[in-house]
Amino acid sequence: MNRKFFQDRSRSAALAALAALELHPLVLWSFLGTEPRASRFLVAMAMTGSTPCSSMSNHTKERVTMTKVTLENFYSNLIAQHEEREMRQKKLEKVMEEEGLKDEEKRLRRSAHARKETEFLRLKRTRLGLEDFESLKVIGRGAFGEVRLVQKKDTGHVYAMKILRKADMLEKEQVGHIRAERDILVEADSLWVVRMFYSFQDKLNLYLIMEFLPGGDMMTLLMKKDTLTEEETQFYIAETVLAIDSIHQLGFIHRDIKPDNLLLDSKGHVKLSDFGLCTGLKKAHRTEFYRNLNHSLPSDFTFQNMNSKRKAETWKRNRRQLAFSTVGTPDYIAPEVFMQTGYNKLCDWWSLGVIMYEMLIGYPPFCSETPQETYKKVMNWKETLTFPPEVPVSEKAKGLILRFCCEWEHRIGAPGVEEIKSNPFFEGVDWEHIRERPAAISIEIKSIDDTSNFDEFPESDILKPTVTTSNHPETDYKSKDWVFINYTYKRFEGLTARGAIPSYMKAAK
Amino acid sequence: MLVGKSKAKPNGKKPAAEEKKVYLEPEHTKSRITDFEFKELVVLPREIDLNEWLASNTTTFFHHINLQYSTISEFCTGETCQTMAVCNTQYYWYDERGKKVKCTAPQYVDFVMSSVQKLVTDEDVFPTKYGREFPSSFESLVKKICKYLFHVLGHIYWAHFKETLALELHGHLNTLYVHFILFAREFNLLDPKETAVMDDLTEVLCSSPGNSGATGDGASSGASGAQNHVKER
Repeated sequence: MNRKFFQDRSRSAALAALAALELHPLVLWSFLGTEPRASRFLVAMAMTGSTPCSSMSNHTKERVTMTKVTLENFYSNLIAQHEEREMRQKKLEKVMEEEGLKDEEKRLRRSAHARKETEFLRLKRTRLGLEDFESLKVIGRGAFGEVRLVQKKDTGHVYAMKILRKADMLEKEQVGHIRAERDILVEADSLWVVRMFYSFQDKLNLYLIMEFLPGGDMMTLLMKKDTLTEEETQFYIAETVLAIDSIHQLGFIHRDIKPDNLLLDSKGHVKLSDFGLCTGLKKAHRTEFYRNLNHSLPSDFTFQNMNSKRKAETWKRNRRQLAFSTVGTPDYIAPEVFMQTGYNKLCDWWSLGVIMYEMLIGYPPFCSETPQETYKKVMNWKETLTFPPEVPVSEKAKGLILRFCCEWEHRIGAPGVEEIKSNPFFEGVDWEHIRERPAAISIEIKSIDDTSNFDEFPESDILKPTVTTSNHPETDYKSKDWVFINYTYKRFEGLTARGAIPSYMKAAK
Repeated sequence: MLVGKSKAKPNGKKPAAEEKKVYLEPEHTKSRITDFEFKELVVLPREIDLNEWLASNTTTFFHHINLQYSTISEFCTGETCQTMAVCNTQYYWYDERGKKVKCTAPQYVDFVMSSVQKLVTDEDVFPTKYGREFPSSFESLVKKICKYLFHVLGHIYWAHFKETLALELHGHLNTLYVHFILFAREFNLLDPKETAVMDDLTEVLCSSPGNSGATGDGASSGASGAQNHVKER
């Protein structure tokens, strides 16, 4: 009976341990040097004759589960990696044979391949921590952390490091599963998603190492330009349609589409950022925030009666602060997300419609002075989604916005993304080659580490508590993380393909 | 010494020799978590750097043996394991100055894990940065690490196999042991005199029907492995 109970617990705990394993490698290494427990359990065992299973400490039970999961996963992966490595070698030999290479050329190709495989093995042994990066500049700040431009000390490569405070994160098992999902997405290597190379953590923060996109984000662009032309809007909305569709095809719903999560690369093309980890974390993005609020029409008559220019000015003035706020507002969130009926991936198209409106008008359609008022406007979109008469907007643009922002059953895209692509507003869009053509607005940067497309941010203390003056190896050991242990060869190749080198290092070459 | 050890047992009864090696019983030795051919897995892949292959595998064995020991550390105490014993052999720790230290098994394991941890995380011994070289003493350090890890595995089998059985981790332990022994053999990392104490178990675990059938392939694989070995040096 006890044995069966233990087995059941072990099985049910395995997945949790797997998730915990992903998030807490420190737990593994905290085993080192720990003093064994007192022998009272052995005495108890001798006295009662019970099996060790029922009398062992919870600590031992956790270690048993951890050991089982770790070893079983390891041997499963070991065999797969062995077979994949052999396949890569055979493929190389086959390619070289087909190309009719001479023996000397073959030898050189084999050596280069072997060097790469050796580097892959080393990568898996690598432990990374904060000390391996030099912080160059704060380039973004959000509700739950910030983004810095950093340089890896040993390679000189430049990255964006997203820093998230653990205390603000969801339950730890959820974070583990979300990270597992993100790893799947990273593996897919979509052109439309900001690349995440790896992540690590310490006691206070979770760190994500991403590609640096010097074009800034759409929020900052809109703050500079106030509004976009219809041609510019057509370009950005079309690219974002393709970006959102690419993650939908992978089985993801972004659920937080908004201008600050649309980034621009060095050539001005769109990439999606920041999904999974912080989704639904802002208070005003959760249904319970409005528990005692009815769905009656909003009552901010003064704000509603402002002309569009004043509304745009108010929105712009509060925009940056709103992005930082841990409360946020539901401006971009589809109404069904707050309903008992649930929601699906079509909620992302609603968000895109709101962004399109903001690009053309200067503020999102439901903006207010409080999130509660905004919520009421969203829930009453049939009455509140209107176009100010003094702002010139084409009928095609209005038509598309109203197809994006309607009930989900009839929302454009419900039958498939082709319905969106064939909408009259996108007349003239070359869907196959849009990313290879010049962007609507070119990005002006002087070097690959140019941060002029980002606002200025004062330094913060988010990293200060983790600074250690001790040189003790134990301290150094525990402040580093096993970052690459589950890396696949595909991700390794992506890592070595990175090309961002600071301008001063280029000069040094 | 055996007399001393038996005095530590709660029931005070001196066990028969056969009772001491539960891990040799056929129902236990056939327990594994994978049936893959380990001889194939431990061979140095074509043209891969030998030191990198040693570093990668050694780091992993350290991690896993430490995990395996952690599951029975609650039962491995100064009272139950007054010396680091494996069969009729006892190990003493030698500190930095070469002084012999008499210690209990948990103390010995703690010394082992602490010193191996220092080595595998030392950037000068196990470099992780791009382009950094291994030290010329690397192979001898790996041999020392493997000797210590072997002592820990041996102690788990000798003193704590019953607990490992009860925890249903004997399949994991056997798999880890086979993998470790075959890897050490492939690259001559353990002195046969050092491993003689567990030869009876090694013979049983490392000569499963699958391995017997693949003897020819094993020899061939060993030969090519030797070639790579010599070449890389």
